[in-house]
Amino acid sequence: MPIPESLIWVAAVTTVIWLGLFVYCIALDRRVRRLEEDQ
Amino acid sequence: MTRNVLRVCFPWVLGVWMVAVILAAFFYAPTAQGFKGESSRIVFFHVPQAWVAVLAFCVNLVASIRYLRGRDPLDDARATAAARLGLVFSVLATVTGSLFARVMWGSFWNWDPREVSIAILLLVYAAYFALREMVADEERRGTLSAAYAVLAFVTMPFLIFVVPRIYWSLHPDTIISASGQLKFEMESRMRQVFVGSLAGFTGLFVWLYTVEVRLARVRISRARREEV
Repeated sequence: MPIPESLIWVAAVTTVIWLGLFVYCIALDRRVRRLEEDQ
Repeated sequence: MTRNVLRVCFPWVLGVWMVAVILAAFFYAPTAQGFKGESSRIVFFHVPQAWVAVLAFCVNLVASIRYLRGRDPLDDARATAAARLGLVFSVLATVTGSLFARVMWGSFWNWDPREVSIAILLLVYAAYFALREMVADEERRGTLSAAYAVLAFVTMPFLIFVVPRIYWSLHPDTIISASGQLKFEMESRMRQVFVGSLAGFTGLFVWLYTVEVRLARVRISRARREEV
């Protein structure tokens, strides 16, 4: 585990959270668009 | 047409915006005094996440009241989507808060009033989903969970704003400044990043919420077609 005080550790957690949400949203958006088109 | 352009462009604008905010949070904003290491930078993400959670629970309340008045299944779906996002952002605020606590106070969990109150809030809204799972009938489920959401919302201002201010807390209240002064004061570069992050996370919430409601709309219309 990296030293908690390090900038990298804080940056990694925040970036992973943001990226995770963003990728999830992109995937969901695509899925919904496909379903809407099917309709 | 404009709507479609907005739908396509918004995610990419938001993506670029938040990349800029993340970079600015680590390379543009100065390190706040009175904090260990770089822990103050987590505030740029922790506070907006908590703000979005509060916003989501407000949307949940409004949609629940609308459902109780009109019994529209889409309002029930809106309320559920908002509660789910509120729960997700509360968990994220708790995780980033724990990380901050580890750096500042040496432990991920300190039984601080603010930590306990967010844990209770998480349980209150987790119970909302447990309640939904227990009721099979759609209308009954919508009515019960909407009524529960109104009651759950009453606890939210107490748990988020009142309880942590009544008891002594380790949690920094409004102390975030480049000079380390114990008053509400944010250095201008910090304020820019903070406001940018607030806007970005609010945009993310709006996007997630809109997509979830669109998905619910598709499901509802499909279910109606199958009924016919």
